[in-house]
Amino acid sequence: MKIEITSMMPPPADGMSRVDGRLKVTGAAKYSAEYNIKGVTYGVMVGSTIAKGSIKAIDTKAAEHAPGVLTVITYLNSPKVPGYQTENTAAKGMLKIFYDDKIYFNGQPIALVVADTYERALYAASLVKADYNKEQHQTELKSNLNNGVLPYSSKDYVRGQEDAYKSAPVKIEQEYILPTEVHNPMELHAIIARWDADDKITVWDKTQGIKSTQKSIAQAFKLPPDNVQVTAPFVGGAFGAALRTWPHEIAAVLAAKVVKRPVKLVLSRADMFTSVGYRPYTWQKIGIGATADGKLVGITHDATGQTSAYEDFTEGVVNISQLMYASPNVNTRYKIVSLNVNTPTPMRGPGEATGAYALESALDELSYELNIDPIDLRMRNYAQTDPLSGKPYSSKFLNDAYKLGADKIGWSERSQKPGSVTKDGWLVGYGMGAGMFGAYRSSATVTARMMADGTLILQTGVTDIGPGTGTAMVSIASEMMGIPGAKIRVDLGDSSLPPSPTQGGSQITATVGSAVYDACTELKDKFKQLNNGADSADYVGLLKQHNLPQLEVTTLSKNGPEMGKYASYSWSVHFIQVFVNPATGVVKVNKAVSVADAGHIVSPKTAASQIKGGSVMGIGMALMEEVVIDHRYGRLVNNNLADYHMPVHADIPQVEALFVNKPDPNLNPMGAKGMGEIATIGVAAAVANAVYNATGKRIREMPITPDKLI
Amino acid sequence: MTSKNSCIEPENEGNLTDATRRDFLKQSTLLTAIALTPAPLVKAAENGWDEKIADVYEKVPVNIEVNGVKHQLSVEPRATLLDLLREQLDLTGTKKGCDYGQCGACTVHVDGHRVNSCLTLGVMVNGKKITTIEGLAKGDQLHPMQESFLKHDGFQCGYCTPGQIMSAVACIREGHANSATEIREYMSGNICRCGAYPNIISAIQEVKEGGQEV
Amino acid sequence: MKQFQYVHPSTQQSVLDAINKPGTKIIAGGTNLVDLMKRGVTAPDKLVDINRLPLKGITATKTGLHIGALALNSVVSEDNLVVEKQPLLSMALKSGASPQLRNMATVGGNMMQRTRCTYFYDITMPCNKREPGSGCGALEGFNRMHAIFGASPQCIAVHPSDMCVGLAALDAVVVIAGRKGERRIPFTGFHRLAEDHPETDNHLAKDELIIGVEIPDNNFAKHSYYLKVRDRQSYAFALVSVAAALDIDNGTIRQARLAMGGVAHKPWRLFDAEKALIGKPVSEESFKQAAQIAMQGAKAYQYNAFKLKLAPASITEALKHASGLV
Repeated sequence: MKIEITSMMPPPADGMSRVDGRLKVTGAAKYSAEYNIKGVTYGVMVGSTIAKGSIKAIDTKAAEHAPGVLTVITYLNSPKVPGYQTENTAAKGMLKIFYDDKIYFNGQPIALVVADTYERALYAASLVKADYNKEQHQTELKSNLNNGVLPYSSKDYVRGQEDAYKSAPVKIEQEYILPTEVHNPMELHAIIARWDADDKITVWDKTQGIKSTQKSIAQAFKLPPDNVQVTAPFVGGAFGAALRTWPHEIAAVLAAKVVKRPVKLVLSRADMFTSVGYRPYTWQKIGIGATADGKLVGITHDATGQTSAYEDFTEGVVNISQLMYASPNVNTRYKIVSLNVNTPTPMRGPGEATGAYALESALDELSYELNIDPIDLRMRNYAQTDPLSGKPYSSKFLNDAYKLGADKIGWSERSQKPGSVTKDGWLVGYGMGAGMFGAYRSSATVTARMMADGTLILQTGVTDIGPGTGTAMVSIASEMMGIPGAKIRVDLGDSSLPPSPTQGGSQITATVGSAVYDACTELKDKFKQLNNGADSADYVGLLKQHNLPQLEVTTLSKNGPEMGKYASYSWSVHFIQVFVNPATGVVKVNKAVSVADAGHIVSPKTAASQIKGGSVMGIGMALMEEVVIDHRYGRLVNNNLADYHMPVHADIPQVEALFVNKPDPNLNPMGAKGMGEIATIGVAAAVANAVYNATGKRIREMPITPDKLI
Repeated sequence: MTSKNSCIEPENEGNLTDATRRDFLKQSTLLTAIALTPAPLVKAAENGWDEKIADVYEKVPVNIEVNGVKHQLSVEPRATLLDLLREQLDLTGTKKGCDYGQCGACTVHVDGHRVNSCLTLGVMVNGKKITTIEGLAKGDQLHPMQESFLKHDGFQCGYCTPGQIMSAVACIREGHANSATEIREYMSGNICRCGAYPNIISAIQEVKEGGQEV
Repeated sequence: MKQFQYVHPSTQQSVLDAINKPGTKIIAGGTNLVDLMKRGVTAPDKLVDINRLPLKGITATKTGLHIGALALNSVVSEDNLVVEKQPLLSMALKSGASPQLRNMATVGGNMMQRTRCTYFYDITMPCNKREPGSGCGALEGFNRMHAIFGASPQCIAVHPSDMCVGLAALDAVVVIAGRKGERRIPFTGFHRLAEDHPETDNHLAKDELIIGVEIPDNNFAKHSYYLKVRDRQSYAFALVSVAAALDIDNGTIRQARLAMGGVAHKPWRLFDAEKALIGKPVSEESFKQAAQIAMQGAKAYQYNAFKLKLAPASITEALKHASGLV
């Protein structure tokens, strides 16, 4: 199934409106749970109520007898997942659902109830009762820091001399904690699974990667990948939570096989906290030292993050300290601790956002210690070449970004003395924090087809989780082909389309955009051939002249070998002005400015939105987001959106997004770099630094809630 | 919300039978007999009976008008308006984001007022007029708020968008769009994880300042 | 959610008849009840929808304002009479929940809402309020949101309402209908402390119905303020909230009303602090003294010790706003 997305409006000066916008504002955009599939049944999961042990007994009788119930699947009666059997069962890996009696975390799915209506399934799920053999669980990272281990195939990093900061004339050494944060896209994860034949299945699934989902389901059920049709033209946000195929997706496919009818499985909001990953609780320690004039002597960055008991999750928490500044001595150590929790998964700006929170806070602390303006300190240690590899940057205009942002926020109004500025009884403070993320390009295939009526159709399997991939594709094609966006249609999010990478890691515009660019170039060449070697944009005329119904190319586009010569990163800097109530500790973000060096901006309007959105997520990280576990039970106590606070309208000012907008001449033909991650990386530190500037209080454990400031 | 047609009224003064399904089952000698037979048979029989019994005893008629279209429905009292819209009427524009009144994605207008449809029982809107996102445009002509969201890019993934738009329209109608600060407060019942808040505020302000009828 | 019966009576008498049976619950706005039913915290056999009763009115009487139990929170918060005579109530209402929820929630329902204690909502956790005798999960657990006044070892939950804090401060009276007729009780006597029966939130009998609240006329309209401190700027429950109302004569406080939310099992009226303010000049010093007095008897738990500082700071801040000092 393909969704036709046609842009309705001509591109205004500030960029094209979203090509799928009309479908989104009218409610016509269909997300994965919203397909009206004949004979559909409803699945509801039942989670464990202990954090470690095994299932002693599970009573499903009442549920099975409840009205409308078609089946109750548990490890006792689950059909075997063929892919599970062939794996080394002792090895760590993805949680195998309904595989055995083992419980690894609280909330682990122990049963799936399928009924003919949602209400009946939900009620029957409440009737499933389990008894457990309980074992002593560990769910707290803080008390298990000593159990940190070096992840498999990872090693400590040393550049120059280890712990060199200790000998520096001016130094700080501090610990920073970022608690668990949950992606919580507004769309609940959902899948509808329908077996079309014994060896053929269609899933309407929430995923960031059509091809990876196709592959995962094919592997699990030993099917040829082509027999797994995956449809996801609209994805209601994901931020990393739909990067992989989760156990509930396998469960729905299993259940559809059992009941021989399509099964729709929508996670509850509580499930969203324990079933689809999260940004892991991470402890960090930074030692940083400089000469009196602010030249960095050394950075030492230690981090320990949590993972599950059944799978190792690692992320690049400490990488940013190796990369961000021209420090002669850097060493980093990264460890993970296995706890009775579910496995984390990358969340927007994954480890880098966690690491940047600590590094950019530490740099701020150092700037006060040195009495040097924080921007000035950064400029004194500005890396002109990649400190890690020594390679030249494919492009870096972070210095421009500092200046743009500082001017916009009114940085000159900032006082270097904390707690010295008030307005209407509120303390006023400014803070900044920078971010970086690898600028990648992988390979993608795009079909570009010019129709006889002059409509250009672009097709590729990529999903659009919100950044506006389709809109960027239309922008590029419009410019390349010299036709209005309104004449261009995009087909996305379907496994029958040409392959594209998973939406994630800030690489899609660089990758799919390049593929559109290359496909359009090739298509223009084809038209040129039709026109005896002369350029012409009269596509309709040429098709008519040659009596052709259409002309199409399918182009595989990938990185050139010259990429290896450069170090490629996107850069960002975030500026925040806060008001802090000295009596109640309430923090209000009054101004927020984010500047991105993300190369040439292909789609200005959607790009600005992405940067603003990243800032909002960073503000949430700094001021309110935190998963709380009652460690006595190893169970989450705030797994809902009333107790797990994400920013609401009232928390967010008119965030401004600015772009350096200078093309990266080396990465891809458009000169574009990614921006999804850098939008968030560095924001939390900027907020925390602003709070310090306002109050003189350095909060080193996020979030900065009012209780921590009074 | 008195409905004129009493025959489609949900159970009136409490004077209809008190026999819940469970009561009925207890009274059913047939099922008592089945209880003595082997388990699989019981299950099959029970299932069969349950479906029929449930239809009669667990559902009540509800008449609602959604986006100008009248619907005569038979619903379980426990079914929420949100699930009725999405699962029975295939009006999936109204979104489920939390199911507990904590996010606003399910916002619809009931008799012109914005409410969380996830906490609204379907039986309690009997006789009322519901407007969902699908009913906002006039044919191909978008509502000014929809146009403004497009123009200001008031969304990214689009999932919270129907709720945001329904809330935004209500925000202006209620007279709560007189400043950015007021709009922010009165839109705070609609969470957007993509962080489109600044653009949503711009979109609402433009509609408000444009003075178009919403 | 368990299946239940639904009835929709049109007279008060038939409501009173219907609710006098075990397993029966009244539903009005449903914003809390439906939530509780979805989580299995409560599982009534029968819901009695009272929305047909003529209890929506807001009227001025000889002595004050009468607000019907079915008046919507949004309507009350914007009602001209309320805004003019009892702005504190309007402010308190507007700081609660979200516009959508206020469009559903009623005055009576708001009074009847249960605590938002997370242990109460998770049916796998111990909670004496939900399941008497099962223990209090919060006592030794995550009790950041919990009570600092009047808590019992059985239950340290707080009442979540903002509206009720305003009504408690304003000397409101609850009008209750029962099978033997009407009775009136002071608002401050409506909710109860947990003591040995945390499962019971208030003094409404099982066969009674709230039909309205009355607020006596006062001289507080010019100097009222509702301060709510929370983890985000809107759509969150209070860490601490303060309803402050002053009657000021030429710089001297003639009368004062103070109540707090987020600190006790019931809206917490600060009678002693009010008394201490009478005759005092409008000054930060007076307010700080009153706040000190208000904190007598406060007791914190592992995660809510910050309230011992936040509460007096908030009282002072609210009084400053109410008096016009800021």
